[in-house]
Amino acid sequence: MKNVSKALTRTQALVIVAALVIVAVVGVGVFTVFLPSTPSTAKISEVRVGLVEPLSGAYAVFGNEAKMAAELIVEEINSKGGIASLGGAKIRLFVEDSKSTADGARLAAEKLVNVDGVNVLIGAFISAHTLTMLDVTEPKKVVVMADALVDYLTARGFKYIVRLPPKASVHGATSVDFAVAVFQQAGAKIQRPVIVHFDGLFGEVTADGIYTRLRDLGIRPVDRIKYPTDITDMSPIIERIRQANPDIVFVVPYYADSVLFAKAVKSLGLKVQFIAGAGGTGLSDPDSIKAAGDATELMTNTYSYDPFLPTEYNKQLVQRFQSKYGKLPTEAAGIIFYTLWTLKEALELSGKMFPDKPLDGDNLMKALFELDLRSGPAAETYPSGRIKLGPSGDNIYAQAVVLQVQGGKPVLVYPFEKAQTKPLFPRP
Amino acid sequence: MAEAERFVRKAVNMNRNLFPLLLAALAMVLPFILGLNEYYLFLTTLILLYTSIVVAWQLIGGYGGQLDLGAGAYHGLGAIITGYLMVYHGISGWLGLIVSGLAAAGVAFIIGYPSFRFGIREVWYALSSLALVLILQKIFLLWTDVAGPLERYIPYAAFDPFFMRSGYKAFYYYVSLALLAATFVIVYRVRKGKTGLYLLSIRENEEAAEMLGVDIRKYKLRALMIYSFIAAMTGGIYTSMVGFYHPTLFDSWISIQTVTLAIAGGLGHFWGPPILSVILLSVQEYLRISVGAVVIGLHQVIFGIILVLIILFKPDGIGPLIDSFSKKIGLMKAPLVSR
Repeated sequence: MKNVSKALTRTQALVIVAALVIVAVVGVGVFTVFLPSTPSTAKISEVRVGLVEPLSGAYAVFGNEAKMAAELIVEEINSKGGIASLGGAKIRLFVEDSKSTADGARLAAEKLVNVDGVNVLIGAFISAHTLTMLDVTEPKKVVVMADALVDYLTARGFKYIVRLPPKASVHGATSVDFAVAVFQQAGAKIQRPVIVHFDGLFGEVTADGIYTRLRDLGIRPVDRIKYPTDITDMSPIIERIRQANPDIVFVVPYYADSVLFAKAVKSLGLKVQFIAGAGGTGLSDPDSIKAAGDATELMTNTYSYDPFLPTEYNKQLVQRFQSKYGKLPTEAAGIIFYTLWTLKEALELSGKMFPDKPLDGDNLMKALFELDLRSGPAAETYPSGRIKLGPSGDNIYAQAVVLQVQGGKPVLVYPFEKAQTKPLFPRP
Repeated sequence: MAEAERFVRKAVNMNRNLFPLLLAALAMVLPFILGLNEYYLFLTTLILLYTSIVVAWQLIGGYGGQLDLGAGAYHGLGAIITGYLMVYHGISGWLGLIVSGLAAAGVAFIIGYPSFRFGIREVWYALSSLALVLILQKIFLLWTDVAGPLERYIPYAAFDPFFMRSGYKAFYYYVSLALLAATFVIVYRVRKGKTGLYLLSIRENEEAAEMLGVDIRKYKLRALMIYSFIAAMTGGIYTSMVGFYHPTLFDSWISIQTVTLAIAGGLGHFWGPPILSVILLSVQEYLRISVGAVVIGLHQVIFGIILVLIILFKPDGIGPLIDSFSKKIGLMKAPLVSR
């Protein structure tokens, strides 16, 4: 019987619902109006920097190395007093996992931009993943500093993106220039190159870079072989290479496939004078060497960072990285080194140029384009020693280097004027 | 006394209408409660989309009794077709949703007809539907004119409702909400109609149903096609929201998630599965944000433990729990769908 008194008529119910709706809408309105808007002229206590990296999944090796590097550098910047021109504001790092997928990177960017309110976003190592983040950052004017290499990242009309490392096509061209020089030194010429690459965006673009450079030099590849990124059996690929009978194999792998490739070359006894990688991932980095054993011996790859760069700061940084994490920093860590230091310089400059709104996306971009770094930690960790952005947002002085595995260790062999030792050629 | 009883009935009836009404009102204002935060809207939209699949799955799984693991295939098909039409032909996503829905229903027919014709059931049906996800993924990885291994990007537009592309997530939120509401209505009507009864009879005893003259093939196929149509539409909305498509959208995790939530929510129960999916998917996302980056993968472990606990202590799912609770507070005369 109790229910009788509690019964509602249809009209009453509608009135209640309508009232709820109105209260909710008005409540939110009032809430947003009275919410303290972001203090613009007030003292800036921290600069929020987001980092999206593949921390789990197929590319976790790179993502975790990048994360280590970022934590190391941010700690150093903060312990040296933060950003001086912003009153000693500290950098606060927000790390998110892209799970090695494009939608994971997208979700991570959504969170960093909309919840954590980052001022700058660094990521996402994989170019295709970086592209999915730009939809999120562009409307909010969040500056993206890409550590991904595909050429057209900076050429799709997005305004708030810069990239310091050399583009994928530069990596491709560098590996060709290097190989041509190595053959020349031995009195030989490349005649029958084969290009092998994985089928992702980065693989295609880097292989295009190799192809274009070879074509410009008047060399025609005898075969171009594409394999799926998640390949588990390399033997058909090796067999096809054998049939093409090449004098050199240019290969663009990621991580797991580079290990498979090296092992298959060894176990199937593929005879080829030289194997030159391109693209900074796999083959000649410490993780691949550890995973593939001596199968990677004498293989080379191009990198966006030179861990053996003989500058004072770089030597000391590499040593610190090694003692803390127990491995040599290469591609993923190196890009983060100079990207974060360049960001630091840009923040200092923005604080001087635009004391009112130094963290505004437009102002920060202006400061970035204003920079011409020839000294300091950023320049001392960059292969060419100079960082100056061109109109597209890419470094005009971009340069890639070549590491070769010699005696189970990576050594710098190109450019020759900086090399630690001569490249070993040909393969036995 | 009779009059009093009638009064009580009326009051309870009123409350029954009130519950969905309140729910709908809450869903309508939720974006404002979330402060129109793009990230939270993105997550809630995902939850709405996945819940739509779970509700639609009731048709083939809950009522028809077929352990269908093809949700990922239909979802992916919707994503790729809608995305392809938007990227390469500039065709509005709205039309894309319809086209991809029809295509998915067509694929469901091609797969379902021989399966049901030759009486493939239980684990064999489950396996063959799961294989569909992987087969379609491989096909679209090789079919480079449509998809291939490279991500394809839908042109960016700040707000273009006719093209179904928007930089504001609230747009996708309401589109997904409408889809979920429509799915509820469709499933409710099917359940209340002849098809629902026939499907239940098939689930309980297929031979007996056939002997009594139920055309089991026709009704299973009908359920499968409606469900695949809806799953494809969720894929289309998803791809427009994230702005790209790739064959990895044929994701067997979606299949598994759908079936797990539907079974843990109560097989064939009307409210159990959607309520559980909203709760568990929210918990999963919350865990992912709070601990996902600290201890990588921990959120999946916790999510798994919650599921195991439900299966251990409520093997029939949480559906019956909801029934007894709603009876207590007078929301329901009798369980809407009995087991």
